[in-house]
Amino acid sequence: MKFKNILYIVTLSILLLASCQSFEDLQFDPNRPVQAEPGLILTSIEANAFSTVSAGAALASRQLIYTNSISDNQYYGWQRGSFGDYDQLRQVSKLSEEAERTDNNSYRALAIFFRAYYIIRLTNTFGDVPFSEAVKGGEGNFLPVYDTQESIFTKVLEDLKTANSLMGSESGEILGDIIYNGNQDKWKRLINSFALRILMSMSIKTDNPTLNIKGKFTEIYNNPSTFPLLRGNQDNGALVFLDVEGNRYPFFNSNELKTAYYMEKSFVDMLKARKDPRLFVYADKTANGSNLDDRDFNAYEGMGGAEPLAENTNQILSGDGSPIDRRYHSDPENQPSLLMGFAELSFTIAEAAHRGWITANAADHYHEGIRASMLFNSIGNSDIDAYITQEAVQYSAETGLMKILEEKYISLFMNTGWEAFYNQRRTGIPAFSLSNQIVNPGGVPKRWMYPQNEIQLNLNNMNEALQRQFAGNDDINAEMWLLNP
Amino acid sequence: MKGHNMKIIYKRILILGIVAFWCLLQPESLLAQTKEVSGQVSDDMGDPIPGVTVMVKDTSIGVVTDLNGKYEISIPDVYDVLRFSYIGYISIEETVGSRSQIDIQLFPDVTDLESVVVTALGVEKSVKSLGYAVQKVDGEKFTKAREPNLMNSLTGQIAGLQVNNSTALFQDPAIRLRGAVPLIVIDGVPSTDNDFWKINADDVESINVLKGATASALYGAIGRNGALMITTKRGGKGTKVEVNSSTIFQPSYLVIPEVQTTYGNGDNGQYAYVDGSGSGTEGFGWIWGPRMDVPDPTTASGFVERPQYNSPIDPATGERIPTPFISRGRNNIRNFFQSGLISSNNINVTSGNDQGNFRLSASHVYQKGLVPNTDLNNTSFTVAGGYKLSEKLSADASLTYNRQYTDNFPETPYGPENYLYNLVLWTGPDVDVRDLKDYWVAGQEGFRQKHFNNSYYNNPYFQAYEYLRSYHKDNTFGQVKLDYQANDDLVFTLRTGMNVYALDRTDKEPKSYIKYGRVSRGNFYIYNSGQINMNTDFFASYKKQIGQNLVINTNAGGSNRFIRFRSESLNTDGLAIPNFYNVANSEQPLQGANRLSNEQVNSVFGTVDFEFMNAIFLTVTGRNDWVSTLPTNNNSFFYPSVTLAGTISDLVTMPTNIDFVKVRGGWSQVSDGRIRLNRNSDIYNPYEHIQAYSPGISWGGSPSLVFPGALINPDIKPETSDSFEFGLDTRFFGGKLGLDFTYFQIRDFNNLITVPVSLTSGHSSRLENGAEYTRKGWELMLNTNPVSTNDFNWNVGLNLSTYKRFLTKSFDGSDRFGDLRVGERADQMFSNSQYQRTPEGRLIIGQNGFPIRDPYQRMMGHRDPDVVFGIQNTFNYKHFQLGFGFDGRIGGTIYSLTHEKMWWGGTHPGTVNQYRDDANNGISSYVADGVVVTGGTVKYDDYGNILEDSRTYAENETAVNYIAWNKTTLNAEYNHYFDASFVKLREVSLTYQLPNSFLKKTSIQNASVSLVGRNLMLWSKVENIDPDSGVDNLQTPSVRNIGFNINLSF
Repeated sequence: MKFKNILYIVTLSILLLASCQSFEDLQFDPNRPVQAEPGLILTSIEANAFSTVSAGAALASRQLIYTNSISDNQYYGWQRGSFGDYDQLRQVSKLSEEAERTDNNSYRALAIFFRAYYIIRLTNTFGDVPFSEAVKGGEGNFLPVYDTQESIFTKVLEDLKTANSLMGSESGEILGDIIYNGNQDKWKRLINSFALRILMSMSIKTDNPTLNIKGKFTEIYNNPSTFPLLRGNQDNGALVFLDVEGNRYPFFNSNELKTAYYMEKSFVDMLKARKDPRLFVYADKTANGSNLDDRDFNAYEGMGGAEPLAENTNQILSGDGSPIDRRYHSDPENQPSLLMGFAELSFTIAEAAHRGWITANAADHYHEGIRASMLFNSIGNSDIDAYITQEAVQYSAETGLMKILEEKYISLFMNTGWEAFYNQRRTGIPAFSLSNQIVNPGGVPKRWMYPQNEIQLNLNNMNEALQRQFAGNDDINAEMWLLNP
Repeated sequence: MKGHNMKIIYKRILILGIVAFWCLLQPESLLAQTKEVSGQVSDDMGDPIPGVTVMVKDTSIGVVTDLNGKYEISIPDVYDVLRFSYIGYISIEETVGSRSQIDIQLFPDVTDLESVVVTALGVEKSVKSLGYAVQKVDGEKFTKAREPNLMNSLTGQIAGLQVNNSTALFQDPAIRLRGAVPLIVIDGVPSTDNDFWKINADDVESINVLKGATASALYGAIGRNGALMITTKRGGKGTKVEVNSSTIFQPSYLVIPEVQTTYGNGDNGQYAYVDGSGSGTEGFGWIWGPRMDVPDPTTASGFVERPQYNSPIDPATGERIPTPFISRGRNNIRNFFQSGLISSNNINVTSGNDQGNFRLSASHVYQKGLVPNTDLNNTSFTVAGGYKLSEKLSADASLTYNRQYTDNFPETPYGPENYLYNLVLWTGPDVDVRDLKDYWVAGQEGFRQKHFNNSYYNNPYFQAYEYLRSYHKDNTFGQVKLDYQANDDLVFTLRTGMNVYALDRTDKEPKSYIKYGRVSRGNFYIYNSGQINMNTDFFASYKKQIGQNLVINTNAGGSNRFIRFRSESLNTDGLAIPNFYNVANSEQPLQGANRLSNEQVNSVFGTVDFEFMNAIFLTVTGRNDWVSTLPTNNNSFFYPSVTLAGTISDLVTMPTNIDFVKVRGGWSQVSDGRIRLNRNSDIYNPYEHIQAYSPGISWGGSPSLVFPGALINPDIKPETSDSFEFGLDTRFFGGKLGLDFTYFQIRDFNNLITVPVSLTSGHSSRLENGAEYTRKGWELMLNTNPVSTNDFNWNVGLNLSTYKRFLTKSFDGSDRFGDLRVGERADQMFSNSQYQRTPEGRLIIGQNGFPIRDPYQRMMGHRDPDVVFGIQNTFNYKHFQLGFGFDGRIGGTIYSLTHEKMWWGGTHPGTVNQYRDDANNGISSYVADGVVVTGGTVKYDDYGNILEDSRTYAENETAVNYIAWNKTTLNAEYNHYFDASFVKLREVSLTYQLPNSFLKKTSIQNASVSLVGRNLMLWSKVENIDPDSGVDNLQTPSVRNIGFNINLSF
């Protein structure tokens, strides 16, 4: 009896330690949700899409130089680009699904807009890229064909019109909106302004009758009630940085930006030539000029982006190089990051007016752009007025295009992604310096090669696109459709 | 002493009794003269062996040694030889002569066939009956020349086991058995948390390595890659107290990086300190500064003087007064590191009788790190024992509490957290590290560290004393086992085991601490986690003899495993009050995250063993699992194994010198339902098969979600490995030589793989079943005992193994999967940052004098070694034992980040040359060894192989700045991929066993002293690092361990 008791007690207590749960209960992950509200997806898309501050673009656009090594951006040694934006297109496609599920036209319009934004970024980088069959892995398509750049631009312009018509005060509440806080009207303005940017980016194709760029530009510009546009910096498509972990200015506390990024000579000289006060907020004084007044143009010097690295380093070591302004690495909020700002829109309209696409006063829009850019950089109105009245800044029919594009170029410093570079690629303004230090024998590259992964994972479609565009060569100097008159 | 006397009296009575007994039986001896001989029998470690048979040769006269290994025997005068024998030991015959005391040492018979090993589920089987490869290591190997971690001690001991030893404090060694991570089993209970630190070497009786799935199939999925079966110690008969103490010093370095001591901090040969943040010609972080120790007759010191971080400030101008720029910091690395220490102490008490036994053990291991203010404490308490509750029921249980704790241990990957980063790469020899001991800026204590560079690097002393990473882990593990002997043939076994831990970690980050790209505002990070892992088995064993030549042995049972894991993390965003580490002190909102997971596996299993004529052994096993880590429609799967062993030497008459020949073969199939995205890691998410959103960025308090890039096939199934092995086990020359050979081949199919897909599909990968890999190799073990006499014994153990993994089928039927082509080795190392070369391998230089990037990825070598080997030697001479072991790896490639970064940053001694002086003087004089393309074209295929090449070349003549060259061309001229082959003198130990004659006067039964050394010598082709670790992410210097061990038992 005693022995049996021991046996029972011990056996029972051991078995109690074994656990048995139902396998169905263990199929729920307590750490991750399987369904999302559209607003939650929107927040992450916005945080990515509007984060456009790129030091690499400033190097390639001869606004900054880099001293830690021979930078591929500065010396044009780049080769392959990245398809990382397709990751974001996946989020956009989820937003689109959730918009359908919740039957919300605002989210539908936003999904269309962001899809347009990312695919344009991709096609600007490479040329033809997958679009119509892209982001369909969930449906089993892992080998999407590449669409022609022409078809992508055509489709995007149609889509943006749709987005504009879907978006409105009655189109549904937008939650999780860290840009416009759910203001449908402002979104409408951004969507239409973005369409104007795309049309202007196709200026080389002005004479293509099927594209009808002029007509499309006019249609939007002339119908502000249907196609409202940004009205000022208050409408900027801007991500405002916050002094909270993960939300700070991307280069806040960056030691590299602090010690290895300096101003480029042609850019500094351009600002000096027109006595542009933005130099004082873009750059810091040189070591040798540290005793001069902050507003003394002689306190600022740049280094040639095409000069040998060692020479630039030596110029800095001898105290004659201006670093980038300290606010870019010391102010956690600094300035907002723009997907598209009012200044850029103004210059785009000014250029359209100059080209005769629309009936408008180019000079007015040109001045509006300058003012918006200066205000964005916290320059006072009296300085702005003084600047605009200068001879060197005056708009004229002869030099107008150059003036507009130079001002646009200045306004895009450390903002709006690679727009400064793409505008230069389209117009050649301003000229970028070259020398025998440049890695690419062809000078300023026109594009990036397709990513290595495509060779392993989507080779036939990539090769077909290369054959179609560049006789099979994946060449950084090849001119994509957009750049061919 | 009274007890002692009593013992002697009892003994005398016993001897008298025995003598009298024999006299009665053998009346003729009454007439003969006899001589009395006494003595003690001990083992190679000097521990007494009870129960040794002492026979007078050629008679049936014999005695057995007592609990203390002592014996007394009377030998008839006509006989003169005694034979000492004991199972598992080599028998010894000893001529008596005129001696009356004969102490004997018996040595383990390494070639013993009857010895038992612990197999899956804790079942003990004789070596002879096994159809698969098993190797056993005795626990005593681990306690003399102490390593902080038991797994380090296994290096070079086991054929097929590769141990990559980390040189840094408290870093896990990487262990691979036949190329994969094996299961750890402690007293029959799987320990899947793979915490090697919780196993105290003093408590380990032995480790049996079941090398492949054929052996461990019964453990199911977790046993797919073999198992390390750890058996802990129990009590023996009688009461014994043992003390074991080791002190190991780390007096010298085996490998330490050597840096140049000619040039100081700075860039392009210039340096003048202003604020350490780039305001002067400093702060950029390069070690491409001016030459040091340059004479200058115009200065007071006689050397060129420059303003430096510790130069005095002129009160009049507020500027620094230049001080001589000389090489104060020649020995910075050695000056900063301190010598380490490993001190371990164990005391244990064992007791036992026929009813049961117990063992109590307490251990503490203290390790002092090389980095000041770092250490590791590891404490264990264990109680274990068994008891016969009744004739039929017996119980065995053990429980260990283990605590690993440190208030600070160093971080090791590349980056500003790594001490080598701050010392080897980024401190110019103009700075003497000892001058940095006072690490706060005066008047800004708590706010600003003092350093010569404030933008990129941390003062190493500031880091050691203020950036504190604590780790406190409580482990509790143990098991309870009941055996119920229902009748002679049938036994029921119930066993439940648990592995529980609670870990809390904190990181204290002081204000002004530098982490890439940011200067900290002070932070406090908390990370807590805990796991409970319960494992319960119940099975019945039935054994039946059928006729004379057949024995059938069956087991059948079921098991349940349940794992619950939780973790929480919390951190501040800036600290309001410096050095006050509490989350309530956060400047900005707190950040936090948590995680919870539950996992369950239910199983049923069965085995049948057939034994024919005690020579042929056939074993069949089967198991079915139900797992929670797969969708419920695919969560049940069955897998079998079959093994056969045949002792040919028992069936066929063998030539005289061949004692034993056994052939064995086995096949098993094991499936695994755990989705491990990295096959070299134990980490997996039990919910990986569920497609769900992940948390994204939170903006201004607004949370977000992102849809992950991995697309999950909802019909995912378990992955499966088919293992096949064949082996031959032989003994020659009367057991003097043993050879064991195994060939294995493992086919991994239906793998749960991440199939990369074109990003344009909107996904980065798919989780699928597919592709097939084959692992194969062989293992050879050789044991020999060339010399064996009473005084002198020499044992040699050699093991050799190979292993390779191949891609044998792609995912989609094409000839490629990922980077690999079907048929190729799977351990290739690829680089995406190479430069273009001519077909002859010469660098192609561009118009600017710099090399041109290669747009294609290139294969740089194979990671896995060709051969892994170990040789262990043991010599016994009288009371001395000398052991030494070599081991190493031949072949394989290692990438040295240390090497690459030293060239890049300017600290490599190879950068001391005329070009560098020229660059410092603004002269571009470096003409790279390469060619420029003068014409023609090249056409590549899609993977970068040359199809057509009509290029013509001319020698490169463009001179460039040497410093710009080194800063830009990381991989151009120097190959940072090294042949990883090495041989190490792993261990030397010399033990002196105090003689019994000496100990007789004390209460000590046994005492030994050992002088030990580990990691003593290295032969390798790699610069600056120890290839033993297998990887180099800026490795901590490798040290020699030298110390002593004392073992006493009472």
